[in-house]
Amino acid sequence: MGIDTGSLEIYPSGLGNAQALADAHMKSTDRLFGSLDLLILKTLAAGPNHGFGITLHVETVSKGLLHMEEGSLYPALHRLERERLISGEWRQTDNGRRARIYTLTAAGRKRLAENEASWSSVALGIERVLRFV
Amino acid sequence: MKRAIVWLRNLLHRDSSWQEEIDSHLAMRAQWHQQQGVAPGAARLQAARAFGSRLRTLEAVRAVHRAPWLDALAQDARHGLRVIRRSPAFSLAAVATLAVGIGASTAVFSVVDLLLFRSLPYPHADRLVSVGFSGPIDTSEFNVGNAYLDWRDHQHVFTAMTSMYPGGQCDLGEAPALRVPCFQVEANFLAALGIVPAAGRDFRPEDDQPGAPKVALLSYALWQSRFGGDPGAAGKTIRLDDAPVRVIGFLPRTFEMPQLGGADVLLAEQLDERVARAPNSTVFLRTFARLNDGATAETARQQLLPLFADSVQRYVPPPLRREVGLVVRSLRDRQIHEVKLASWLLFGAVLALVALACANVANLMLARAAARKRELAMRAALGAGRGRLARQMFTESLMLCLAGGAAGCVFAWALLRAVVATAPEALPRLPQAHMDARVLLFAMVVSLAAAVATGLLPAWERLSAAALAGWHSAGSGRSWARPVLVASQVAISLVLLTGASLLARSLWKLESESLGFQPRHVVTATFTLNRHRYGSAEKQVAFYAEVESKLAAIPGVSRFALSDTVPPSGGMRGRPFSNIQIAGHPPVPEQGGMVAFRYITPGYFRALGIPILAGRDFDEKERSGTETPLILSQSLAERLFPAENPVGQRIGLGADGQWTPVVGVAGDVKNSGLTDAPQPEYYLLRMRQSWALGLSGVALLETPLDPGMLERWVRQQMAAIDPALPVTIETMQAKVGRLSERARFLAALIGLFAFFGLLLAAIGLYGVLSFLVAQRTREIGVRIALGATPGQIARMAVHQAGVWTLAGMAAGWALSAALARIARGALFQVSPFDPLSLAAAALVLALAAAIAAWRPARRAAQVDPAVSLREE
Repeated sequence: MGIDTGSLEIYPSGLGNAQALADAHMKSTDRLFGSLDLLILKTLAAGPNHGFGITLHVETVSKGLLHMEEGSLYPALHRLERERLISGEWRQTDNGRRARIYTLTAAGRKRLAENEASWSSVALGIERVLRFV
Repeated sequence: MKRAIVWLRNLLHRDSSWQEEIDSHLAMRAQWHQQQGVAPGAARLQAARAFGSRLRTLEAVRAVHRAPWLDALAQDARHGLRVIRRSPAFSLAAVATLAVGIGASTAVFSVVDLLLFRSLPYPHADRLVSVGFSGPIDTSEFNVGNAYLDWRDHQHVFTAMTSMYPGGQCDLGEAPALRVPCFQVEANFLAALGIVPAAGRDFRPEDDQPGAPKVALLSYALWQSRFGGDPGAAGKTIRLDDAPVRVIGFLPRTFEMPQLGGADVLLAEQLDERVARAPNSTVFLRTFARLNDGATAETARQQLLPLFADSVQRYVPPPLRREVGLVVRSLRDRQIHEVKLASWLLFGAVLALVALACANVANLMLARAAARKRELAMRAALGAGRGRLARQMFTESLMLCLAGGAAGCVFAWALLRAVVATAPEALPRLPQAHMDARVLLFAMVVSLAAAVATGLLPAWERLSAAALAGWHSAGSGRSWARPVLVASQVAISLVLLTGASLLARSLWKLESESLGFQPRHVVTATFTLNRHRYGSAEKQVAFYAEVESKLAAIPGVSRFALSDTVPPSGGMRGRPFSNIQIAGHPPVPEQGGMVAFRYITPGYFRALGIPILAGRDFDEKERSGTETPLILSQSLAERLFPAENPVGQRIGLGADGQWTPVVGVAGDVKNSGLTDAPQPEYYLLRMRQSWALGLSGVALLETPLDPGMLERWVRQQMAAIDPALPVTIETMQAKVGRLSERARFLAALIGLFAFFGLLLAAIGLYGVLSFLVAQRTREIGVRIALGATPGQIARMAVHQAGVWTLAGMAAGWALSAALARIARGALFQVSPFDPLSLAAAALVLALAAAIAAWRPARRAAQVDPAVSLREE
């Protein structure tokens, strides 16, 4: 489809404040090898969740190493939904807030398995190249 | 429409849902910060910062949902719009050309659609047929009571057969009563047509018994105007022809009679079978039927033939037997048979005009393509695929055609209004024509077809690899498309011109056709007496005597006459030729059709300028005598007395043994239209105490005064005699003018289209020739430098135009010859191969071509070799 899944900037411009600098060590989840899609699908494999829940999950599980760029998250969610890999629905959250909850579909589960395998081989490949002296 | 609204609402709703999703995200993030111990305000701020630009995200989400082809289309459209704006003259010319073509075709479609294509307002209307005898008595098929009853009881061809009395009017309400169209129909009439009353009930068999209490169904319009559309109004009583009639129901709004036209009142027919079946009964009916499944009008006719032959043997007098036939035809044919050809001709002419307009625009696009060759080659070099370029060009022509279509709809609306205002009776249903969804859909389809026609050819031509590869403007150059386009424009234009000139010549013949009388300075007042209020001969005689004395006394009336009918619109009384007897002669031959007659007062021939060829005119003094004198028309006199002097002979007109003397012979007049041969006819004097005057009357007033002023006086006088009597006042000239209205309408419209077509063809020729001259400037420069004279150069350019024009004209003639057979029916006393008309059309076209070629040729001759050779 040729639509950007995320920008290469680490942070949107105009946010060069202390907080941003403090977070600068965190890796951006750019579109390297479709990592954003992979993270979303993997997070949803654990159970249905909303957009904010996904960012929180990624940040917590990666122990702060990965920061999900929110401006890219939503276009990605909608694109995945259009591709019928996930399905979204307005629902009530546990604390009584209305949120759009996404669920992994069967097709999404299949895609996740494929992407996980290819990610592992890519990661292994890069690892080997970097280790080569 | 409804679906579109739902779709749009979803679209808007979707967007607000996306915004809400982002808001919910921000709220959750802020809440999370708060739980970490940040103050509420700061938490919201932090959440917003972390999120980044809300708008940009929203835009990115929207982009996900937008179809990619829509993006490309928008891009093409933007580019197209830029191109269109950059060359306003070109765009204006293209849009105007298309607007004329599409507009004219849309206006004509809105008219002919009602006649040719749109289904009639009955369920399964294609199964409905009109059934009856064809014969010299009527132009449409009719039936007689005894034959109809036989057919109805014994046929197996139709699921239902129904009948009505032909034509009728009645006076509605108290004086001054309103004369409204009113028909007496059989009880199953509406059911056979498939019509259910909008309120109340249909007729029942008991309503249709002779002598049953009178009940009526009223039109939707009367229901609304008299009863405010109250559904409970059924059961009320109205006054009809001065008698109370109970209303039982109301007709649907779209109801129309199967023979075309509206009906305000339907009454039960109450056909008395004993009367209808009596020997020599003359109950005339119109009969309609619904075909069995699988039957066609033709198979039904075949199957009905035995019954028909039996009826002819039983009920038709021997002299007329050979002149009657059986007609079974679809309702649509019954309604439009006279104008079917005219409708198709008009429709064909406008489609030809659309083709011409498309050819012109395609030509314009080709010319522009040549100018844009560099741009296209550049874009191709930068990686635009062939398909992408074709789509770009197609988008451009689509935009032009849609603009042309929109402008065309405005033009169509104006044209339609002008046509309806000037000639409302030229075609049936013309006043009903309007621009509805169906007509707009037609305009849309024509616009899209035009886009395909004008866009594809240039796209194809332009995108040939050779054209795109060449950076030099001098390249291949010679293309076959433009000459072929020009030649076909010339061909189509010639066909249109030939048609127009044939129709014009036919119209001229029609209008100069002698009527046998002078329509100038005569005003007619036509009225029909109410058969209930003027039931007795005494009342009629008194009424007519008063009309004569009052109208003849109007100042400024130089001649006055009273008749029961006037030429040229028919409706006269008639009798079979074979029952005329001549005193002292053997009986006249058995065959011979009908003879018309009318009752007139002595001023009639002088008022209408009909010459008395032999004998004398009627005299006022004779009107009090005992013997009714008679004047023969010339053609009847020649048939009855081929070798004798008719004046002084005595003629027997019935079985009563009364003989009437022939006192003179008058010139023939056209009684039933301009195209028919004069019908044999005789005139009887209206005697003072005659009981045979009938209920219809026409007063003729010859006057040098303004007819409008006379009309007021006539109305005043007639109102003084009977205020409730509706009177139609019209000049004789208007009556005659109506006869050629359709021919005039057809000739004028096709002439207009031919003019537009000629204009387009000339512009096309001019454009192509100019372009070629411009393209060959270098070549021409070389030729001149090598010694060619300006005359030779001009001849070279003209030669090319001449070849194309001649090729086009040859094709046009071939096409005209192929179409001649179809057009023959629309022409009056003109052959479709009429040399004068053909030559005139060719001459006009050649002249236009010459004018179109002149300027480019001159420009070619004036090329300066020094300038042109330096140009490259």
